[in-house]
Amino acid sequence: MSKFDRTEEAAARWLIRYEESDWTDADQAELDSWLSADVEHKVAFWRLKDAWTKGDRLASRRADTVTAERQRPKLHRYFQIAAGLAAVLVAAILLVPAMLGNGELFETAKGVQQTVLLADGSQMELNTATRLRADLAGARREVWLDSGEAYFEVVHNPRRPFVVHAGSHDVKVLGTRFSVRRDGDAVQVAVLQGRVRLDDIERAKPSSSAVLTAGAIARTDDAGVLIRQASAERVQDDLGWREGLLVFDQTTLEEAVAEFNRYNGRQLVIADPAVAAIRIGGRLQARNVDGFTRLLERIYGLKVETDGNLVTISK
Amino acid sequence: MVDDATLEAWFCREVFPLERALTRFIRRNWREESDVLDLRQEVYARVYEAARDGLPRQAGPFVFTVARNHLINCARRARIVSFDQVADLESMDIQPDVLTPDRHLAARDELRRFEAGLEKLPRQCREVVRLRKIEGLTTRETADRLSIARGTVEQQLVHGMRAVADFMRGGSGKVRRPTSKARARNQE
Repeated sequence: MSKFDRTEEAAARWLIRYEESDWTDADQAELDSWLSADVEHKVAFWRLKDAWTKGDRLASRRADTVTAERQRPKLHRYFQIAAGLAAVLVAAILLVPAMLGNGELFETAKGVQQTVLLADGSQMELNTATRLRADLAGARREVWLDSGEAYFEVVHNPRRPFVVHAGSHDVKVLGTRFSVRRDGDAVQVAVLQGRVRLDDIERAKPSSSAVLTAGAIARTDDAGVLIRQASAERVQDDLGWREGLLVFDQTTLEEAVAEFNRYNGRQLVIADPAVAAIRIGGRLQARNVDGFTRLLERIYGLKVETDGNLVTISK
Repeated sequence: MVDDATLEAWFCREVFPLERALTRFIRRNWREESDVLDLRQEVYARVYEAARDGLPRQAGPFVFTVARNHLINCARRARIVSFDQVADLESMDIQPDVLTPDRHLAARDELRRFEAGLEKLPRQCREVVRLRKIEGLTTRETADRLSIARGTVEQQLVHGMRAVADFMRGGSGKVRRPTSKARARNQE
């Protein structure tokens, strides 16, 4: 699903809600925050609303020409939409969410990405081989990232913080955009916009909390947290997977190969440590293993041998 | 600083009527067909940002200048796009024909156009939109009347809303779903 599709779909759902009779000030505040989160949200919403309301006069014309069978209250009073929809699958991909003890389960297989629009208007994009659970019913909006990586666009709501539990760390936000990646105990958080707080729940000391602002990338492991203040652009590169791209900049071939292996059934192996240390840069399609190995052959003069699902790279 | 209400009115009156020409312009100057709608949305966002400092006297030349600059920036940023594309874009003059907006439609024509867009929708989708817009039924009533789930009603409304908006702005008015190609890829 393209970015345009995602935004317009979300705008359409807002517009449907907006026409409901139970639209409250709080709803309006949420919509305002969604609209101001991204200029593209705003223009998409205006564009749909402009066209959609052009059809409103159809109803009035009907009233002129047809004797109504019964008095109908105003159009908008009627539109009650299942408020209990815990989440709506936007990308409608093959995985069926199942209710577990801790919220609704979302999973993606290797090479699959999925966008999920949550009932509060927040959005999650699951990267390859990811498993997470979401529970929005409680006082806090909670997500458990069991494995993999996800990008979040959280609708601002000061009364209901949004928490992502990633193993030993919690990521708390009010309303912002960020991604969380979990490989076992290692957690990486990249913030595109706004602020988030990263808490080590096992140490639970004030010193084990870190506040991350836009452009920050934090990595945690057994030793602690390493925070690097990069730039929004660097974080954007890190999120290249949302467009199906891997972005490398002075990345070792070893790391690049590990990235490819996250997305593909065909696994790349480097036979030679000297080859593993080669640094590469560029933007590559995550699913295009052939394109990647062809580049390695052509540009770096490496040897690529394929044996079933195993691709060996050597000098 | 121009406020949002003024900007929204200006977009509806001056900018969105240019959509057919704008889409054609982007399509002609960008190699990847699948990027066109994303780019159009980004152009609208750039137009918004630029117009916030003051509405231009003429929307047409303004919108297409913003579009051209945006395409150049995108081609530069995407290292996977070849550099001759940037050169092409930089030497490109905006054709006079793209500056002519589609004739502004009178309210009655717009209503006809809405109805024509409605006629193009698939049967169930059309029925759901019709029941909401014309009969004023609730989602629940619509679901009961058609014996379908409420979630389906909502999804059909989303499809219908988007397709009609596309048709009203000179697009094909087809319902956009995840493509079969995308589905095949996801089932690998």
